[in-house]
Amino acid sequence: MSVKYVPVQWNPNKYLYDAVMLTGVGLFLYVFLYAAPGLLSHERPINQQIHNARAFGACAFVMLTVILCIGPLARLDTRFLPLLYNRRHFGVMTVFVALTHAGYVVDWYFAFSRWNKFEAVLFANTSYGQLAGFPFEAFGIFALFTLILLAVTSHDFWLKFLGPPLWKALHYMIYPAYLSLVAHVSLGILLDQQNHVFTAIFAGCAGTVGGLHLLAALKERRIDRTRSGGKGGWVHVCDVSEMRDGFAKVKLLASGERVAVYLNDGALSAISNACAHQNGPLGEGRIIDCLVTCPWHGFQYDVTNGRSPAPFTEKVPTYNLRLDGTSVLVHARPNAPGTYVEPVPLPGTAPETEAMA
Amino acid sequence: MSDPRKHGFFVGYLPIPPALRGFLLVICVLLISGLAGFGLALGTAQDDPGQGAFRFDYGRQTVTGVVELTPYPLLRVTIGNERIPEGHTLMLAGGGKTNVENRAIPLEGQLAQVSGVMLQRGDLDMLQLRGGADGISAAEGVAPPMGTVPLGRWQLAGEICDGKCLSGAMRPGRGLAHKACANLCLLGGVPPVFVSTQPVDGSEFLLITGPEGDHLPETAYDYVAQYVSLEGEVERRGDLLVLRMDPNTLRVLD
Repeated sequence: MSVKYVPVQWNPNKYLYDAVMLTGVGLFLYVFLYAAPGLLSHERPINQQIHNARAFGACAFVMLTVILCIGPLARLDTRFLPLLYNRRHFGVMTVFVALTHAGYVVDWYFAFSRWNKFEAVLFANTSYGQLAGFPFEAFGIFALFTLILLAVTSHDFWLKFLGPPLWKALHYMIYPAYLSLVAHVSLGILLDQQNHVFTAIFAGCAGTVGGLHLLAALKERRIDRTRSGGKGGWVHVCDVSEMRDGFAKVKLLASGERVAVYLNDGALSAISNACAHQNGPLGEGRIIDCLVTCPWHGFQYDVTNGRSPAPFTEKVPTYNLRLDGTSVLVHARPNAPGTYVEPVPLPGTAPETEAMA
Repeated sequence: MSDPRKHGFFVGYLPIPPALRGFLLVICVLLISGLAGFGLALGTAQDDPGQGAFRFDYGRQTVTGVVELTPYPLLRVTIGNERIPEGHTLMLAGGGKTNVENRAIPLEGQLAQVSGVMLQRGDLDMLQLRGGADGISAAEGVAPPMGTVPLGRWQLAGEICDGKCLSGAMRPGRGLAHKACANLCLLGGVPPVFVSTQPVDGSEFLLITGPEGDHLPETAYDYVAQYVSLEGEVERRGDLLVLRMDPNTLRVLD
């Protein structure tokens, strides 16, 4: 959360995150570049520039694979949520690694001719009508420019400037970029490679990304079935006995919106389940210091009015609630973001403040 | 109010909950060791690029011979040296992805001295000439007649490559991942070479030209680096075979 934009709001966890990431990436590159050649029994070494291009290209692919696994892993097991917290740094680092790969490729394969090397990338191979020999560089270019676009717009300034729906839609382009990268590798080095270890690792990476997303989607669908139901004005959420203090129950409305109904100090309040930051699932968060805290990036909201505490300005819609016996009912129509709604005390309890008074 | 730390609820700007520390430590170790492991596995999974190389270790090579154009410039060596014997036919190329046709055309059929660095891959070699007249210049004497032996029409299977990368300018210097680079070399006039799966008259490497002894036809570029079959007239020029391909017979093989 911020009231002004700074490049990075550093904190100890971000330092730790980046240190682990950079150590892993550094080790990948060091081992590929300096340890692996000694283990290869080649009569003559691979050109250093080609070796470098492969090291950085392979590293970027593995990094992007890891990045894309974090989301579904966090959906399947919330203990992975800390990996999501600083994923932007992982993505930006991936762009630098991918750019280095592209630099080595352009400066080697497309240099030394009488043509401009960047133009040569575009015209050297134009066999677009065939699979084998297809200009796989085009897929790499698309993936690279998409990654650059996503890295440049990853900062919260762009999130605010573009608005969460557009920003989110833009950043879903990570999937076409990854598919493009898979095509880049599949139609490039994979068609030449004789060593099956490379093929197995590549297929394993792509399969893991696909498999985890499928598992996460199935889990979401299963949960949504239990959350959905109810049309019209007042919709049943759950029985009061199911509510836990500081936690929420999420209800999927017929409109497709999700509502997070929180129990806070013995009273119920309902806000939108979508965080104003990146649409994180507020209903899977917790109440900390009387504020709903998003599990993705820690954005906080007053559960009674959906507003972030001053000086922050984020707002989410609130919902009206009522009890019908022990049944918790929410009205399907959202209130304007930031609208105060009087909490509904559970039978037999009183809010702490009243009790103290 | 529940204590979020007790439930292992992570908030980025707060200390890591004790309940999560062990799990995250394991993830950190797995991530770091996993990335290092992937680096090792992928780094050691690279195929052997072959023995082709620039032979800088031979030093600068200077030989004399008769210049021929196919239209790619060749030198039929008449005065050789320790590395390049008399009777050998050398393909000639310029620096990078360039040719030496402009310098060779005025010397066609004449004796010339060439100088440069060799590229060598088994029986295949090429000479990358120095710049200007240091690379190729007219030599004293009368050029002896050089015979060409027609070997008839052949149907061959193999790969169209650029001769320079294949000879060792790049390692690896062939294959589909190298196709754009090969095309750029061929567009630059670097001599193209057909690598035949079966030897033709003892050689698996043939200089490949257009059907009328012209440059590689445009249609052939789509087939570069692929496993193809083609037909054409083969002729022997010294110890080098020249294939004048028929572009209508080009077929991709599975």
